[in-house]
Amino acid sequence: MAFTTELERDSALNLSQAAVGCEFQVKQLDGPGCKQLREIGFCEEMRVRKVSNGRNLVCAMCGTRLALSRELAEQVLVTAV
Amino acid sequence: MSTGDEHPIPKVALVGHPNVGKTTLFNQLTGERRKVGNYAGVTVEKISATIYTPHGHQMELVDLPGTYSLTPSSPDERVTRDVLLGDLDGEESPQLVISVVDASSLERHLPLTLQLIELGLPVIVALNQVDRAEAKGLRLNPQVLTDELGVPVVACQATSGKGIVQLKQALRFPLPPASERRWKGNAAVEHAIADLTKQLESQGLERPEAHALQLLGESDYRTQAQPHLSRVAQAAALDVAADLIKQNHNPEEEISALRSQTIRRAISAAAHEMGDEGETFSDKIDRVALHPIGGWTLFAAIMFAIFWSIFRFAEVPMGWVEAGVGFIKDKVGGMLPEGDLNSLLTDGIIEGVGAVVIFLPQILLLFFLIGLLEGSGYMARATFLMDRVMARVGLSGKSFLPLLSGYACAIPGVMATRSISSNKQRLLTILVLPWQSCTARLPVYAILIPLLIPSILGQTTMMFFIYFLGTGTALLVAWLLSKRIGIGEAAPHFLLELPPYRLPDFGYVFRHVIDRGLAFLKKAGSLILGIVIILWALGTYPKAPEGESQFDHSAMGCIGNFLEPVVKPLGWDARLGTATLASFAAREVFVSQVAVSFAIEEDEDDEEAFRDQIRSAIKTSEKPDGSPAYPPLVVLSVLIFYIYALQCLPTTAVVQRETKSWKWALAQLAGMSIFAYLAAFIVYQGGTFLGF
Ligand SMILES: Nc1nc2c(ncn2[C@@H]2O[C@H](COP(=O)(O)OP(=O)(O)O)[C@@H](O)[C@H]2O)c(=O)[nH]1
Repeated sequence: MAFTTELERDSALNLSQAAVGCEFQVKQLDGPGCKQLREIGFCEEMRVRKVSNGRNLVCAMCGTRLALSRELAEQVLVTAV
Repeated sequence: MSTGDEHPIPKVALVGHPNVGKTTLFNQLTGERRKVGNYAGVTVEKISATIYTPHGHQMELVDLPGTYSLTPSSPDERVTRDVLLGDLDGEESPQLVISVVDASSLERHLPLTLQLIELGLPVIVALNQVDRAEAKGLRLNPQVLTDELGVPVVACQATSGKGIVQLKQALRFPLPPASERRWKGNAAVEHAIADLTKQLESQGLERPEAHALQLLGESDYRTQAQPHLSRVAQAAALDVAADLIKQNHNPEEEISALRSQTIRRAISAAAHEMGDEGETFSDKIDRVALHPIGGWTLFAAIMFAIFWSIFRFAEVPMGWVEAGVGFIKDKVGGMLPEGDLNSLLTDGIIEGVGAVVIFLPQILLLFFLIGLLEGSGYMARATFLMDRVMARVGLSGKSFLPLLSGYACAIPGVMATRSISSNKQRLLTILVLPWQSCTARLPVYAILIPLLIPSILGQTTMMFFIYFLGTGTALLVAWLLSKRIGIGEAAPHFLLELPPYRLPDFGYVFRHVIDRGLAFLKKAGSLILGIVIILWALGTYPKAPEGESQFDHSAMGCIGNFLEPVVKPLGWDARLGTATLASFAAREVFVSQVAVSFAIEEDEDDEEAFRDQIRSAIKTSEKPDGSPAYPPLVVLSVLIFYIYALQCLPTTAVVQRETKSWKWALAQLAGMSIFAYLAAFIVYQGGTFLGF
């Protein structure tokens, strides 16, 4: 499990709720879209920055920009760094 | 099973994500001598070339379709996996794999590399785009990465040729040995892998461990029927996986977590980041290009510019093609004595094929512009924007590119649907795509529209409306069908990489355009040629006695009389009936067919005069009772029919190939034809009822 403490779990939010322009660390992928997300490169511990919001939102990771649907973003749990 | 293992020339495959620079690297390694073929049984292009190592050994280099993982989600990606596993008939698996990765985003690219290593094939890693990695402030040490991954790693920059020599040197004989798998799972997982490997080996499956890892690491691969994998092997895998799950292990997740760990360790050893990059140039453009208002404005402007240039710029080269066809016809006609052979060559073959080739400039221009959009990175943004619209009707943003290509020609459009990962959305896109108004319809419109509207402004508006009607119907029907097919809840999620904006690689774009052009000419040269000859014969024989109408006497005329009752409710006569029937092979045929039926000789030098002649023949034709044979309402009914009907055999053939189903291909043909008939019927009968 990627969460080390209860406190960390409580402060986690999903990428869809996260604020634009801030940087986050992926804590957990949870949901039916997991496989799709892992394939394109999401994984635990990775850093992402949210670039924009919307029905499909954009985030930056490892120097690339990814557009993903809100449903998928809801399956990515992140904590602020 | 692979065949021909005794093949003396070793095969080297390039494997990597889409857009990683595989094609550029391939061209650098081969000096652009490539051979394009097809993989047996699938329509995926096979690109290969012969290369020589620095020591003069010959090798075959194959560029496999880009893929994110060995877990395929599209037919292209499936080819890559099947070739690598040695499961594609007639394709031996490569003896060496060059794993091309993007140095600036190793976390995303190395998972595939690990999977390649696990296949038990010798692997060389081409660490491409090092320039971009450095621009991002990332320092990489290829030597450390070599130690971490256990395979040679060569840093390179395909666009400038940096590192190509080193890469070629790495391809020396004897080939490097295969590396060991880079991770060890817990006892249960390792036991399962070993167990399954042994079972597969005893079944005689090649690369048993590679298959075992693939089967345990991906549930779809063991549960869904695989054309190249026996049920027995899958059953064994299901048993082993079920055992693991019983012991509270999840094979997929554990294997993918093990790979991630391995990669994180390798990267943290080999890469040093020098601070966050912050907002890049691309991000700044995207602030406009993806903006809810700015983005759509830009999108509309780009689409407008594309259409404007297709209609404006293509006119000049179209004039050249026309003049060329006229010239050839003149020469050939002059060399032969008058008679049937002369008529077959000039009026039949040269005329008919010429009428098709005339669209080459427009098709090439549209593909060139689409190539620019793709090469510059904008296409991904358009896909992103359009996803909102497409999702409403059950399609995906990725349906946009195929639909856009459909304005040029439905065939490449249908082939471009391969990038759509959901099968249902792909099918839906294919089914409605031929309603996009393709260039082959233009000559028909060019004849008909001026008959309805005299003013140029009115004609332009009408043209716009026709495009709108086609696309509008396509989206509406997609929406209706999506409910039947059951898209909606099950629609896969939108996930798309937005590549950085860059200057398109013009060489690449041009090659792409030329490939398309050749494919189109091949169609004109084979299928259309055959149809034209048949039509010519039907229209020429039996010969009419002197002074009587050849059309009424010919076999075509007889067919027309037979057809008349069917097309009468649309307001058509035998002439229109046969012209339309003939154009079910290819709609371009309409014009020459009408011309032939009125016995209009084409003027070699002036296409417009020829069209005028056809138009005035249509205008002045009378029924026996003296009323006009083709009043505007009839013309409109023909126009509506051509907007909606699927009159293109090559499209039906390609749809069959792509959907692997005659059922869908024929259903589409029948459905669209009936739709077109009903639409023309409603227009004509409604118009008559209203007193037009
Ligand atoms: N900056 C940079 N761009 C590259 C490099 N290699 C390829 N590209 C660009 O990446 C884009 C995609 O390359 P392409 O060969 O078509 O990728 P493919 O989809 O993997 O075949 C092209 O615009 C190339 O010019 C590189 O080493 N550095």
